[in-house]
Amino acid sequence: MKRILILLAAALMATMVFAQTAQNTLVEDKFGSIDTLDPAQAYDTSSSLVIQNIYETLYTYKGSSAGEFVPALATDYKISEDGKTYTYTLRKGVTFHNGDPFTCADVAYSLKRAVITNNPQSGDWIVAEPLSGYASNANDALGKNATAADYHKYFQTVDNSVTCPDPYTAVFHLASPSPTFFARMLFSAASIIDKKWAIENGQWDGTEATWKKWIGYDLHNNSFLQDHMNGTGAYQMVQWVPGQKFVAKAYAGYWGDKAKIENVLINRDSEVSTRILNLQKGNADYIDLGARSDVKQVEGSQGVKIWNLDGKLGWADAAVDAVFLNEAIKTDNNPNVGSGKLDGNGIPADFFANQDARLCFNYAFDRQAYGQQVLLGMGISLTMALPKSFLGYDPNIPTYSLDLEKATQHCKAAFDGKLWQNGLKMTLLYNTGNTARQTAMEILKSNLEYINPKFNITVRGVAWPDFIKQASESTMPAYALGWGADYADPDDFIHVFYAKGGYYADQIHFSNPQINQLDQQARTETNPEARKLMYSQIGNLAHDLAPIILVPRAYPILVTSSSLKGVYYNPMIGNGEFLWSKVSK
Amino acid sequence: MLTFIVRRVLFLPVVFLGVTLLIVLLMQLLSPAERAATFITSPAQLQNIDAIIAKYGLDKPWYNQYWRWLDSAIHGNLGYSTVARTTVVKAIATRFPRTVTLALAALFPIVGVGIWLGTAAALNRDKMVDQITRVLAIVGWSLPTFVLGIWLLVIFYGGLNWFQPGILTTGDSVRLSNLMANGTFHDYTGFLILDSIFNGRFGIFLDVVWHLVLPVITLSAVTSAQIMRVMRSSLLDALGQDYVRTARSKGLSEHVVNTKHARRNALIPVLTVSGFTIILLFNGVVITETIFSYPGMGQWFAAAATQLDYASVLGGAVFTAMIVVLANLFVDVLYALVDPRIRYD
Repeated sequence: MKRILILLAAALMATMVFAQTAQNTLVEDKFGSIDTLDPAQAYDTSSSLVIQNIYETLYTYKGSSAGEFVPALATDYKISEDGKTYTYTLRKGVTFHNGDPFTCADVAYSLKRAVITNNPQSGDWIVAEPLSGYASNANDALGKNATAADYHKYFQTVDNSVTCPDPYTAVFHLASPSPTFFARMLFSAASIIDKKWAIENGQWDGTEATWKKWIGYDLHNNSFLQDHMNGTGAYQMVQWVPGQKFVAKAYAGYWGDKAKIENVLINRDSEVSTRILNLQKGNADYIDLGARSDVKQVEGSQGVKIWNLDGKLGWADAAVDAVFLNEAIKTDNNPNVGSGKLDGNGIPADFFANQDARLCFNYAFDRQAYGQQVLLGMGISLTMALPKSFLGYDPNIPTYSLDLEKATQHCKAAFDGKLWQNGLKMTLLYNTGNTARQTAMEILKSNLEYINPKFNITVRGVAWPDFIKQASESTMPAYALGWGADYADPDDFIHVFYAKGGYYADQIHFSNPQINQLDQQARTETNPEARKLMYSQIGNLAHDLAPIILVPRAYPILVTSSSLKGVYYNPMIGNGEFLWSKVSK
Repeated sequence: MLTFIVRRVLFLPVVFLGVTLLIVLLMQLLSPAERAATFITSPAQLQNIDAIIAKYGLDKPWYNQYWRWLDSAIHGNLGYSTVARTTVVKAIATRFPRTVTLALAALFPIVGVGIWLGTAAALNRDKMVDQITRVLAIVGWSLPTFVLGIWLLVIFYGGLNWFQPGILTTGDSVRLSNLMANGTFHDYTGFLILDSIFNGRFGIFLDVVWHLVLPVITLSAVTSAQIMRVMRSSLLDALGQDYVRTARSKGLSEHVVNTKHARRNALIPVLTVSGFTIILLFNGVVITETIFSYPGMGQWFAAAATQLDYASVLGGAVFTAMIVVLANLFVDVLYALVDPRIRYD
């Protein structure tokens, strides 16, 4: 018996000796878990990362740039003068991982499938909007009273939105001129799937006879593409174990430069300490960090490399963080606003509709302190709610820096001096667990209470479900949140933050006629220079009106094993990463 | 006995309805927007909240929502888990075998060590062995699972690098995926530890065993202390009984008296505790699996509860309730086998 035990122990020890990442395998330890493998359902960065490596779009991002593009499944494209027709010349000789040839029929099918399904959880609205004229799916767009004729008309619009004059030419007919269309076509929902393979495996057959079943279809459930992939990318899927791991291998028949690493293993690990240990022990080549302060735990570790720690690689981010100031707070039974009146025990519903109140809060936020405390000095302050690398970003717009005198001045001017005289009581909210947002709110509270001891501010973290509830009920007077780019176009930020119909603008009930008009013009203007000017004007107006407090963003860093070569950061790939085929060991 | 078993099995649908109804009613305390949180993971999805609430009928009366779930459940569909990223049925099928592997691997040392130490302590009452065992039991019982787990991980992974979290090394993980993809590794039972043997992949088998070591130690340390204490007091009680004195007076050896007469009777309360130990283990795995990144039921439930994953909570609760009922039935049947005086008919 003892001998058996000794032999078993020896065998187990032998297993341990081989427990290191192999030279031909890229191991990534990620925080997020892949939601779906279906491009028409995905709307999270974990799924996008996998989809962007296995499937391909017509064009893709050039290196670390979110604003420069290179051909992928298309070799060329042209836009009609009216900006409503996009013609792509498709690459010849491309095959899907199962050997099927790639043609225009696959392009048309993939896009139409995304427009038709357009589940509210998915990101399909990004391609649906320019192609069908509606952001939502047919059922939601047409409403409950829609007739069969309405549905037929909708289907015809979608069916005619992509045509194939020949197998290697795809023509997109847009509902209206859209300067954002090209950028939208790089989103994962525009990934090209194999039509024949999809239909053979029970997906929509591409006809009007069956399309209604697929409207708003939750592709998570009973859908073959939820857990199967057949793309044209440099890697092909081997296995996905939901919530745990994803394995891919290099595709021998890839049309472009072959992948340098044979296998890829994406492990899901929710604990940052385990991810860090895995990297330090050589069991991971790339890890997601948690907060920026985690850098200290890996800095100086043997075999670990932190890319862009000094910011000199110039990698650009594609997200905006802000404190949102709600101009129409629901005050009934709302503890966040105290009495709901400006009597020293609360704030009124329209507190932030007062420009002086908004300016007071903006001047009271110390970006420098936030940059030091949270971002460890690695922060970038934005002048407008638009990433620096995006078209229209204007670096010449002034920013609000901490100025307690000006904050006092504006608070004194607000509500004819009543605010200053009576004081206020309110709650600033953030989603629990996000310590960076918590710190931002505490900095704000501290400075506001310093300028007037009658200001009584509470900072409170709320769980995500409660946060969603409060956001939908408009009970949060001020809250911290962010926005990451869906597509690399200023429209995805400017419209969302500042214009009527944009998510955040509507949430905080901010509306300015001049901004709304400029936004509408910019959404259909095809001349980039003209758009740039419009966005700059919006940025200037937004600065003066101060509907939000812009919070600095940390510049991107990546943490990998030192053996990984060719690492770069593109904010539009996954949560900000690289294509696997571009790195080597 | 058969009638008893049938009666208990027929009780399962009542448990099913009771547990699910309770959870559905509890979930009604949350607003539709809060319940929609499980489908919304990014601010971008917030803009579709009304459509999401409508799509999943979250604003419908509770009985409509319950019927909708019940109807699917009866047809074998327990819904989609946003945490496990698959259907609840598939998540159970994948994760349950792993948790059972871990729980069973822990159960043997728990019961074995518990009985062994408890017996040693009782037979050496107030001697050094007893004192040491009692101190160990107190330390083991009062040591939180997460503290022990993290210590073990820091020492044996962070420091010595002998063990690592997860279920396989990265090399074997990729190897296994490739073998499964090209059809040379078959998932016969769902239990990787068994399938690796059936497929003749002993390297993978050893790797699985190796990854079980730290979680099993973590789980066992706490629970075996409890078994040990019960065994000790039960055996001490048995040793003072008349039948033990009679056995001794018949001239039987001390070993026979202790093992065949006293210890066998002393095992009944230990069996009761062991039955509960299975349930306790299911609680214990929540923390252990999370610490060791072991993708089982515990890790899933912990995340599902915090993220309000409605389908997972419902499906998981039903499944756990069934396990508890069946575990209790198993213990009851075991009673009768250990003690012929116990009859259920």
